[in-house]
Amino acid sequence: MARHDPLLPNAAIVARREYRDRVRSRLFLISTAILMALALGVALSPIGLRYLDRSDVDRILVVADEPRLATGTVATANGIMNIPPPGVDLATWTAPFAIEPALDRATAMRELAAGEADALIDVTRNADGRLVVTYRTLGPPDGVRAQLAGFAALSVAILDWTSSLPPESQLGEFRTPEFSTEAISGPVEGGQAVDAVLVASRAFLGTVFIILMFISILIYGMWVATGVATEKSSRVMELMISAASPRQLLLGKVVGIGAAGLTQYLAISVPAVAVLAFQEPIARAVLGDAGAGLPIGGLTIGLLAAYGLFFLLGFVLFALIYAATGSFVSRPDDLQTLSLPLSLVAMAGYLSAIVILLGANGTLAAIASFLPPLSPFAMLARLMVGTVQPWELVLSVAILVATIAVVALATVRIYATGVLLYGQRPGLRRFLAAARRAG
Amino acid sequence: MTLEIDRITKRFGQTVALDALSFSAPRGRIFGFLGANGAGKTTTMRICLGILDADGGEARWDGTRTTDLPRRAWGYLPEERGLYPRMTVIDQLVYFASLYGEPADRARTAAHRWLERFRIPDYAHRRAEELSKGNQQKVQFIAAVLHDPEVLLMDEPFTGLDPVNLGLLRDAFLELRDAGRTIVFSTHQMEAAEALCESLAIVDHGRLVAGGTLAELKRTSRARTIRLGVEGEILPTWLGTLDGVAAVRPAAGVTELELRAGIEPRDVLAAALARGALVTRFEVAEPSLEAIFIERVGRPPDADDVVAEDGLERAGLAAEGAA
Repeated sequence: MARHDPLLPNAAIVARREYRDRVRSRLFLISTAILMALALGVALSPIGLRYLDRSDVDRILVVADEPRLATGTVATANGIMNIPPPGVDLATWTAPFAIEPALDRATAMRELAAGEADALIDVTRNADGRLVVTYRTLGPPDGVRAQLAGFAALSVAILDWTSSLPPESQLGEFRTPEFSTEAISGPVEGGQAVDAVLVASRAFLGTVFIILMFISILIYGMWVATGVATEKSSRVMELMISAASPRQLLLGKVVGIGAAGLTQYLAISVPAVAVLAFQEPIARAVLGDAGAGLPIGGLTIGLLAAYGLFFLLGFVLFALIYAATGSFVSRPDDLQTLSLPLSLVAMAGYLSAIVILLGANGTLAAIASFLPPLSPFAMLARLMVGTVQPWELVLSVAILVATIAVVALATVRIYATGVLLYGQRPGLRRFLAAARRAG
Repeated sequence: MTLEIDRITKRFGQTVALDALSFSAPRGRIFGFLGANGAGKTTTMRICLGILDADGGEARWDGTRTTDLPRRAWGYLPEERGLYPRMTVIDQLVYFASLYGEPADRARTAAHRWLERFRIPDYAHRRAEELSKGNQQKVQFIAAVLHDPEVLLMDEPFTGLDPVNLGLLRDAFLELRDAGRTIVFSTHQMEAAEALCESLAIVDHGRLVAGGTLAELKRTSRARTIRLGVEGEILPTWLGTLDGVAAVRPAAGVTELELRAGIEPRDVLAAALARGALVTRFEVAEPSLEAIFIERVGRPPDADDVVAEDGLERAGLAAEGAA
């Protein structure tokens, strides 16, 4: 076609109609309200959980035959079990264990049985002078806590042993060793190793992001396909195609529906993110001092921007494919047949991302993060767990953008042919034939 | 200043939809584009609009390729009718006009004027799905003319309209022509064409079989129309046995006959008198457009012996898919 049709203003006019058409529909309003409530509920759930679990500061009682052993055990257990994580503000940090001496063994056992205490460290001495330390819990013991208690027992024994040495023995002052961890490989961000707890938290956030992205691409992609198919089946396309170029119509459709999707998306996520951002003050208001300590961390502006970028690019890529599909069916009902293979493609991206979030970091993960249409999912997942070099990010985005350009050209041709073909049964062969003819 | 269709060829796979089709529609006139279903009318219009690409030849308006002209030079009423079902009439009219670059307020005023004209002013704020088919068709017509295009391509504009709406639409055609617009409309209804168009083209299987002004076509036609009245016989059945009588239309007191080349009116009269019929009326009229169509194409325009145009496209795509 020789006619030169600038994209604007017609693409904008089409986009505005598409946007209004969606946003004003009752279905849109209702689904947005429901999803908004759901997202708020999910965002508030950590605080809710902690509210239910707010006595989660473990109370550990210590009972010993000798008072000196009791005070010694309390001190060492405190030193070993209540170590603040690095970088935490000590003024707001609450120790996870409250370790206190019990009045006597009978009272302690009663308190433990009643669930008022979570554990009891019982220290006695054998006839041969050996210390016997028992870690008592109501139910089965927590492995990590038992291990910590074991270390505390060992320390008590060492202290007990050194105190039994003759006073004249030439023994220097006991010095606690310096202890730090160092990983030779692992998640990095800006050249700095990322803390494992942070990685776990990010893997969780990443899962949420990937699920949101997957669902939105499927839903809003289907909006595009249905929109095109409906225009075709109602034959209004006949008027549209003479009033505007396929490029204008397609761009307007993708942008308009994308904007409607984004509106719903923001309406859902802004309150939820606000709750997450202010969870500290909210938690304090609900829980008091026990509310301190972020349950979810590691979300940076950079990661949010990356999410926005990959969401946008991923949506555009899938929306174009969905538009081409929509232009090829005669009735919107036929889309059901074609939507399954399409959602399988998105599903592949989703699964690759989840596998990466679970720790896969091999060649396949790397390939997936460069290969559209998997890359929006996979690269975002790799970014979330911090294993991406800057050049990899640039390359992945470049490949994705180039793919979108190629797909857009093909979609325009397929669309221009497809929207005027009636009475077709959807079929891969036909689709490919038209695509080849378009190419 | 004309719309020239210059040797346009279009194939859908193995099927030839247009075969070096040429004709020209003069500016400021109503031009009839006649043919049976599947003759290639819709394909020709789509090629003019740039919706389809021709395999050969080109369409020109005033010497310029039609696809080089801005879209707003054209108004198109597609044969397949459709509107946005849940949008109000006025909203979609303004929307379509805005795609052609028409400012919203001007489009709105013009739309209300047209709705008034077509006697449906109360439907402006109704959803399109609430309108009857005929009224939807009128709204679509308005959508095609709202941006005041120079050339109007109307694909079967009169199909499915009742006589009142038919009259309204014909008046609108004449008014647009008087305002200097060029109207090309396709139809297989010969009465509508005969009543409206000054010149026309008859196509069959993608080929031009006749073209020119209506007067010229009638003058050069060898087809004859005879009106014959016979006392006591409402439909003289023996007429059908005469060679060269193409169509017989009985009317009150008079029977209209279309004669093919090879039989002269006086042969019919002689045959009637030979049978001893009491002839009360015998008139040789100029041939109707329908007679000319039958003469040139060999069958009436509503004979359903050709593949629908959709079918052609479908066949074309399937053929390519199999290749």
